[in-house]
Amino acid sequence: MKSLLSFTKKELLEQLRSGKILLVGILFTVFGIMNPAIAKLTPWLLETLKDSLAESGMSVTEITVTAMDSWVQFFKNIPMGLIAFILIQCSIFTKEYSSGTLVLALTKGLPRVQVVVAKATVLMALWSVGYWLCFGITYAYNAYYWDNSIAQNLLFSTLCWWIFGGFIICLITLFSTCFRSTSGVLLGIGGTVFALYLLGLLPKVSRFVPTALTDGTSLIYGVKKSEDFLPALIITAAIGFFTLFVGASVFNKKRL
Amino acid sequence: MDMLHISDLHKRFGDREVLRGLNLSVPEHSIYGFIGKNGSGKTTTMKTVLGLLKGDSGKITVNGERVVYGQTATNRLIGYLPDVPEFYSFMTASEFLRFCGEITGMKRKESETRIEELLSLVGLGCEPHRIKGFSRGMKQRLGIAQALLNRPKLLICDEPTSALDPVGRKEILDILLAVREQTTVLFSTHVLSDVERICTDVAFLKDGVTDMQGRLSEIKTKYRGKDYRLETETDSELRLITQAFPHVTIGEGNRATFCESDYTVSDVLHFVADRGIGILKIERLEPTLEDLFMEVTGR
Ligand SMILES: Nc1ncnc2c1ncn2[C@@H]1O[C@H](COP(=O)(O)OP(=O)(O)OP(=O)(O)O)[C@@H](O)[C@H]1O
Ligand SMILES: [Mg+2]
Repeated sequence: MKSLLSFTKKELLEQLRSGKILLVGILFTVFGIMNPAIAKLTPWLLETLKDSLAESGMSVTEITVTAMDSWVQFFKNIPMGLIAFILIQCSIFTKEYSSGTLVLALTKGLPRVQVVVAKATVLMALWSVGYWLCFGITYAYNAYYWDNSIAQNLLFSTLCWWIFGGFIICLITLFSTCFRSTSGVLLGIGGTVFALYLLGLLPKVSRFVPTALTDGTSLIYGVKKSEDFLPALIITAAIGFFTLFVGASVFNKKRL
Repeated sequence: MDMLHISDLHKRFGDREVLRGLNLSVPEHSIYGFIGKNGSGKTTTMKTVLGLLKGDSGKITVNGERVVYGQTATNRLIGYLPDVPEFYSFMTASEFLRFCGEITGMKRKESETRIEELLSLVGLGCEPHRIKGFSRGMKQRLGIAQALLNRPKLLICDEPTSALDPVGRKEILDILLAVREQTTVLFSTHVLSDVERICTDVAFLKDGVTDMQGRLSEIKTKYRGKDYRLETETDSELRLITQAFPHVTIGEGNRATFCESDYTVSDVLHFVADRGIGILKIERLEPTLEDLFMEVTGR
């Protein structure tokens, strides 16, 4: 137990000293500001383009921006935040394989499962801090300019997206224990998400696929109800824990 | 009881069989020299003992406990210095040792004093920089410190002196000698003078098996040659001997060597006594480890 704590501490120190914590912080802050900013700037942008648009036969009617537009931006931009997060963190295991730094810790009797648990925990913590920071900033701006209450299921829809991020972290862990190279990890994640996306196109199973959790826009407009997300939530959590379990067992037998 | 026992260990990489039924027993409180030429499988053997590699067949026990691959419980008894130790470069030396202490479950206070003691022992006592900037020798020293940290029962060092300057080499050998009271040391090396200096036991690795192993003194006795060396006071006296015994080979100074298969010692000594030749020295030649190494590796 003490060793788990100390390895987690080491991970955090590494994230801090390599500047990754700062990077993630800046990244999600920027995204958090961008969402309301884009919404706020849209009318102004249309206004300046009005003449040229009119020339091409489009008429611009007066539009009013609400918090809704900002939240739509949130769900549009957060995938990019997650992708950037993956790119920053995908080498969290593979770097240790290629440098051989795990050898000393493991030959000192550190249980292998604790390596997996510590790394997954630190990733999840970092993702959570970044994600909710982004959410908080957007929420605060929206409350200042407009009114957040017009978005339905706001907390639930953002919670679903956060859980989808957790699912991706489970995938990072799984593929990091299977592959030695960072490109292997990225290909594994990309391939899985793409396969899930294709699966989601089938009407019969779309409700059960983890990627369904990313459809926050339908939730805040009330097009879908929170109950509709329940199957995907349960299945995502189940697959997530299963991949962690498989990852830990693969890692137990991994040659370092 | 043996601290480490390996029996009939096999290991192949692809179509290359590196270990072919290796047997090794390391008695408690010995300093065991593990000798073999480049690529003979020393590192492979050590990694298998640590559960970092999976042997194809064979049995390894540490302190009577069976070694398993992967999650290796016996590692709590072992201190390991890899051939090229790799550390978290964003830490300082003392931060790294503290991290190691926490992992092995040492008490905070105990580890603090131990870390200070070890850092000054290996000469990194006042090194405030991060490991990123360490030289190879400094890493090697830190590697030895971390291996000794929790007073392991078995210390496994893969070429501990390879990156060190002559002073550092002597310091490390002295450290290994000093810890013999509390632990058993197994170390691999090419440097035969190191072995001669501190080892109590040796094993030569060749073609995937240990060719010769046991107490260093016993091995030397067993392979003691039948050669004698004789040194006389003057040149002319030496010439008298070579005239009487033509197969004697003359060396530098007033020395000559002969083999017991040519002339018995008593014949030569009778001759010396009869003629009243003044001799300074007559000795039976000890084989050097180098001779043994050459004999074993067949070069
Ligand atoms: N991971 C591996 N894959 C394939 N072959 C390997 C691997 N590790 C070692 N070998 C082979 O096994 C043989 C023994 O290697 P090992 O590192 O054990 O030698 P060594 O005795 O430690 O040599 P040195 O004195 O140079 O350190 C070498 O021929 C090497 O090519
Ligand atoms: Mg080696």
